[in-house]
Amino acid sequence: MSSTSAALRISLSSLRAHKRRFAGTFFAVFLGVAFLTGTLVMGDTLRASFDTMFGNAASGTDAVVRSADTITAPGERQGVRRPVDTSLVATVEKTPGVAAAAADIQGAGQLVGSDGEPIGGQGPPTLAGNWIDDPKLNPYRLAEGRAASKPGEVVVNRGAAEAGDLKIGDTTTLRTPDPVRVKIVGLATFGGEDGMGQVTFTGMTQADAEKYLTPKPGEAASILVRAGPGTSQRELVDALTPVLPEGVEAITGQESAQENTDMISGQFLTLFTTFLLVFSGVALLVATFSIHNTFAIVVAQRTRENALLRALGAARRQVTVATLAEATVVAVVASAAGLAGGIGIAAGLQALFPAIGFPFPDGSLVISGWSMLLPLAVGIVVCLGSAVLPAVRAGRTAPLAALRESAVDHSGTSRARAVAGTGIALAAVALTLTGVLASPSVWLAGAGAVLALAAFVVLGPVASSTAVRILGGPLDRLRGVPGRLARRNALRSPKRTAATASALMIGVAVVSLFTVFGASLKATMDQTVSRSFAGDVAVTAPSFGAGGSGLSPKLAPAIARQPQVDTAVGLGRGVAEVDGQGRALTVSDPVALGKVLDLGTVRGSLDGLGTDGIAITEKEAEKQHLGLGDRAELTFTDGKKQTFTVRALYGQSELAGDYVITRQAWAPHRGQDSDTLVAVSFKDGVSKAEGTAAVKKVAAEYGNPEVQTRDEYAQSSAGGIDMMLTLVYALLALAVLIALLGIANTLTLALHERTRELGLLRAVGQTRAQLRAMVRWESVLVAAFGTMGGLALGGFLGWVLVEASDGASDSTFAFAMPPLQLAIVALVGLGAGALAGLRPARRAARLDVLRAVATQ
Amino acid sequence: MTTTATGTRTAARVVDAVKVYGSGDTAVRALDGVSVGFPAGRFTAIMGPSGSGKSTLMHCAAGLDTLTSGSAFIGDTELSTLDDRRLTLLRRDRIGFVFQAFNLVPTLTVAENITLPMDLAGRRADQRDEEWIDALVDVVGLRDRLHHRPAELSGGQQQRVAVARAFAGQPDVVFADEPTGNLDSRSGEEVLGLLGRAVRLMDRTVVMVTHDPVAAAHADEVVFLADGRLVDRMEAPTPERVLDRMKAFDVKALDTTDLEDEGLDDKALDPQALEASGSQEGVPS
Repeated sequence: MSSTSAALRISLSSLRAHKRRFAGTFFAVFLGVAFLTGTLVMGDTLRASFDTMFGNAASGTDAVVRSADTITAPGERQGVRRPVDTSLVATVEKTPGVAAAAADIQGAGQLVGSDGEPIGGQGPPTLAGNWIDDPKLNPYRLAEGRAASKPGEVVVNRGAAEAGDLKIGDTTTLRTPDPVRVKIVGLATFGGEDGMGQVTFTGMTQADAEKYLTPKPGEAASILVRAGPGTSQRELVDALTPVLPEGVEAITGQESAQENTDMISGQFLTLFTTFLLVFSGVALLVATFSIHNTFAIVVAQRTRENALLRALGAARRQVTVATLAEATVVAVVASAAGLAGGIGIAAGLQALFPAIGFPFPDGSLVISGWSMLLPLAVGIVVCLGSAVLPAVRAGRTAPLAALRESAVDHSGTSRARAVAGTGIALAAVALTLTGVLASPSVWLAGAGAVLALAAFVVLGPVASSTAVRILGGPLDRLRGVPGRLARRNALRSPKRTAATASALMIGVAVVSLFTVFGASLKATMDQTVSRSFAGDVAVTAPSFGAGGSGLSPKLAPAIARQPQVDTAVGLGRGVAEVDGQGRALTVSDPVALGKVLDLGTVRGSLDGLGTDGIAITEKEAEKQHLGLGDRAELTFTDGKKQTFTVRALYGQSELAGDYVITRQAWAPHRGQDSDTLVAVSFKDGVSKAEGTAAVKKVAAEYGNPEVQTRDEYAQSSAGGIDMMLTLVYALLALAVLIALLGIANTLTLALHERTRELGLLRAVGQTRAQLRAMVRWESVLVAAFGTMGGLALGGFLGWVLVEASDGASDSTFAFAMPPLQLAIVALVGLGAGALAGLRPARRAARLDVLRAVATQ
Repeated sequence: MTTTATGTRTAARVVDAVKVYGSGDTAVRALDGVSVGFPAGRFTAIMGPSGSGKSTLMHCAAGLDTLTSGSAFIGDTELSTLDDRRLTLLRRDRIGFVFQAFNLVPTLTVAENITLPMDLAGRRADQRDEEWIDALVDVVGLRDRLHHRPAELSGGQQQRVAVARAFAGQPDVVFADEPTGNLDSRSGEEVLGLLGRAVRLMDRTVVMVTHDPVAAAHADEVVFLADGRLVDRMEAPTPERVLDRMKAFDVKALDTTDLEDEGLDDKALDPQALEASGSQEGVPS
C-alpha cells in the first residue's frame, strides 16, 4: 500500500509542478465532455417539456377514435390515416360512460401575415382544423377574444399571430391551399405555451373546416372523447371498441398524447440529438489523439526522472501507476468541469433558443443520472485510455535511460508499420470498392471507410516524414534557416508529428466529407432539375410535410389560361399501397406532364390513362414485375382497393416520381388537395420576363407562392443543404479547436524539451523573429500534413458515401468535388496551424538565452 | 598588469563589471568590480574556483548576460547600448561560441551546423568564406563527417564541429565555456590544440573559461578570479604553475563558495531543468 502511495505522491507533486503541460489535455477532455453533457441534458429537457406540453394539452381527452390503418410512403415518417365519418360522433356520444365527443378535423392551412408574406412554412407544420367548442376536448385554450362561430371566423395560436403581426379583428388570407379570407376573432394557447413549438394553428368553424380542409363534408381525422365521472380512460376505450365499425379503433388519451410526443421526439429530437452526439463523438476522438500525445511527450520528457526512480528501486508498476494516477486526476477534474460546462451549455441554449425564434419551453433543466454518469465515464475512459500506452512505456524505462540523450527519435517509421498500414489501406480500398461497385452495400462501404481511417492512423508516422519533406520543401528556399529548422523539427519525431496531425486530420476529414457530400447532393439536385425540368418557370410552395400547405390545385389551370403560357401543369402527391407497400403517387395531367418534364423514353402512351390507368418508371416496374398492360392493385387511404392497368412506362423519375395517375383517378380517394409544384412552359416568342410577370400576377392571387426560373428552382432545391452544412461547420469548429489546442500543446512541450537547443540557436545569433518563424512554420507544417491527410481521407469517404448511396437507392446520385470549398478548408487548416504556433512561438522567443545554455 | 595595455588591440573587455544576482539579504555579487581586457590574437584562459564568477564574466563579456553596473565591450561597441536584436546580430556576426555540451543543433548536419551563424545571417558565402571554411574543415579533420548528424559523432568530434562553427564566420572573438569539460583527456587535448592553433596560425582571438589547469596551460595567458574579483594574471602558464596558484584558493573555497554556486544556479534554472540536473547527478555513471 505504501508503495502505491509513494507513486501517488510522486504523480501529484509532478502534476502540481507542471500544471501548464496538462492545460491542453484538460481542455480537450473538458470540451468533449461538456458537449456530450450539454447534448444529453438538452435532449432530456426538451423531451420532458414536450411531454408536459402534450400532457397538458390533451388532459381533457380521455379517448381518441380514429381509423386503424395508415399508409406510409417510403422516406416519410408519418403515415396517412384514413378519415373517420363524423356521423360516428352521435354513436360515440350514446355509448355509456361518454360525457362528450367532438370531431377533430385536421388539415394544412398557412396564414398570411400582415406584410403579405406567409407565416412559417420552413419546417414545422402549419395546421388548420375545426375549433372544438368543448374546452376540455380542445387541446387549444382560448386566451383572448372568442371562439369562431360564423363562417370565415378563426382562432389562431398566439405564437402565429405574433409572428405575422396579426391582432384580433384583423382580416387575412389562409392558404388551404386555396386562399380563404378569414377574420381573427380569438387567440389561443397550447399546453400553456403560445404554440406547439413553431407549429402554427388556425381553428375554423366545423362547417368551414369541412368545406376547406376535407374533400367532402362528414369526414374528420379523429373523434375526441371525454369520459363521464367515474369512468377511467381504459374503461372508456373498452366501452367504445364494440360500437365502432371495422377499421376504426379507440385509444386512450394518454396513449394519444404519448404518440404525439414520440412523433415530435422521433422527428425532431432524435435527429437533433443524434447529430449532436455524433459531433461530441468526433470531438472526443480528436481529443483522444491530443491527450495521448501529451502523455507520450510528458513521459518521454520524464525519462530521466523515471529512470532515476527505477535506478533507486521503484518497480515498473509503481512508475506506471504514478503516470496513470496523474492521468486519472486530470481525467476526473476535467470531466467534472466538463459536466458543469455541459449544464452551462444546455442552460445557454435554453436561453438562446427563444431568441432565435424557437420557443424552448420554460421549466428547469432535466439533469438525469444517466446524462451525468455517461459523459463522466466517457471522459475518464477516453483520458485514461489515451494515457495507458504512455504509462506502460514509462514503466518500461530502463534505469540506464537516464544517461542517454535522445535528441532525434526515429520510432514509428518501422517497416513493419509501413507494411501493416499498407495492408490495412489495401483492405480498406478493396472492401470499399466491393461495397461501392461490385455488390452495392452501405455496410461494406462503411466498414471500408472505418478501415481507411485506421490505415491513415497506422500509416501516419510513416507518411508524415515523406509528407513533411515534400510540403516543407519550398521552406528551405523561402524561409532560409528558420524554414529548414522548422522542417527538420517537424521530422524529428514522426510518431509525434503524426499523432498531433491526426487530431486535425480527423476534424478536416469530417469537414471535407460533409463538404463533398453536400456538393454532391447539390449537384444531384441540380442535375435532377436540369435533366427532368423542361419548363420555363416553376411555381413552388413547401408541401404539407415540409411545413407549408402546398399550392392550390386551381393555380395550374389559372396559369394555363394566360395568353403567354403554353402549358402549366400541377403536380400533386398521393399515397397508396402497391403490393402491401406504401408508395408515393404523383397526381397530375400525364399528357401535359410530358411537355414540361423530361420523362425519358416513354413506352406505351400517356394519353388516356383515364381513371383506371397508371404510368410507372421502368425501374419500379421491374421491381414490381409489371409490364405494359399488366394490372396492379392499389389500396388507398380511404380503404378502397382499385385495379389499375399499366398504360405507360417511362425512364426518368426524379421529379415525376415512380407512379403517375390522373387527377380523375385520384379524386375519389383524395384528402385535402394540393400541388407541390406547378411547371410552366411559355409559348414560342414569349420572353422570359414577360412570361414570368404573367405567372407572378396569377400566383399573387393564390397566396403568393414563389415563381422561380429553372436555375432558381435548381438552386432553391439545394438551399437546405447549405443550411445543413453551415450547422455542420459550426459544430466541427469545436473539433478543429481541440485539434488546435493539441498542436499548440505538443509544440509547447516539444519546445520545452529543446530548451537548450533554442538557447544555443539564440546564442549563435538566431534573432527572436527567426526563432518565432521557426516555431510557427513547424506548426504550419504539422497542420499542413494533417489538413492534406484530412482532405484526402474526407474526399475518399465522401466519394464512398456518394457512390454507396447511389448504389443503394433508386435515384441516381451525382459525385461532385467542390474545389473552392475544399481550398477554403485547406486554408483554414493551414491558418489553424499558424494560429496554434503563435503562443508557443512567443513563449519560446521569450526564452532567456543564458538560462537555456547554462541548463546542463 | 602592464602586459595587456600597450600596443595590442583588445578584442573584448569589461570595465568595473559588477553583477548581482537576487536582492536584499539573498543578493550575491557574482562579479564585484572586474576590469579586464582580452587582447586580439591571443588565447586567454579565465580560471578560478567554483563560484568565483568566471562563467558570469564570460557570459557578460559575450553579451549573453547583462551587467548590473560597469560596461562590456566587443571591440569598440558597448554592449549595454544594444537592444536584444542588435545584441543577437552582434553575437551572430562578431562572436563565436563553444559551450561545454550541447553545442550542435541535432537536426542539422555537420556542414549545416558549421555554417549556421552565417546562414542565420542570410549571408551568401563568397569565395573567401568558402576557402576559409574549407580550410577549417581540414583543420578540425571532419571532412568525411560533413553530412553526418551530431548524434552520429563522438563527443570529441562534436566539440571539434563546435570549434569549426565558432570560427566559421571569422568573428572578432571566440568564447569557450569549459569546452573540454565533458571530454576524455585525449579528445580534450585535440580540442584545445585546435583552439591554440586557430589563435597562433590563423590569428584568431579566444577567451576560454576552465577549471582545469592542464587546459588553462594551452592559453597564452591565464587570468584568475576569486569571489567575483580579478586576483591574478599569469603569462606563459604551465599546468604546474596554474595548479599551484589554484591551490591557494582551495582552502578558502571549500567553506563558502560552493553554497554560492548553488544559489546562483537555482535562479538560472526552472523546475524541469532542476529535475533533469538532479537526476543526472543522482545516477551513478
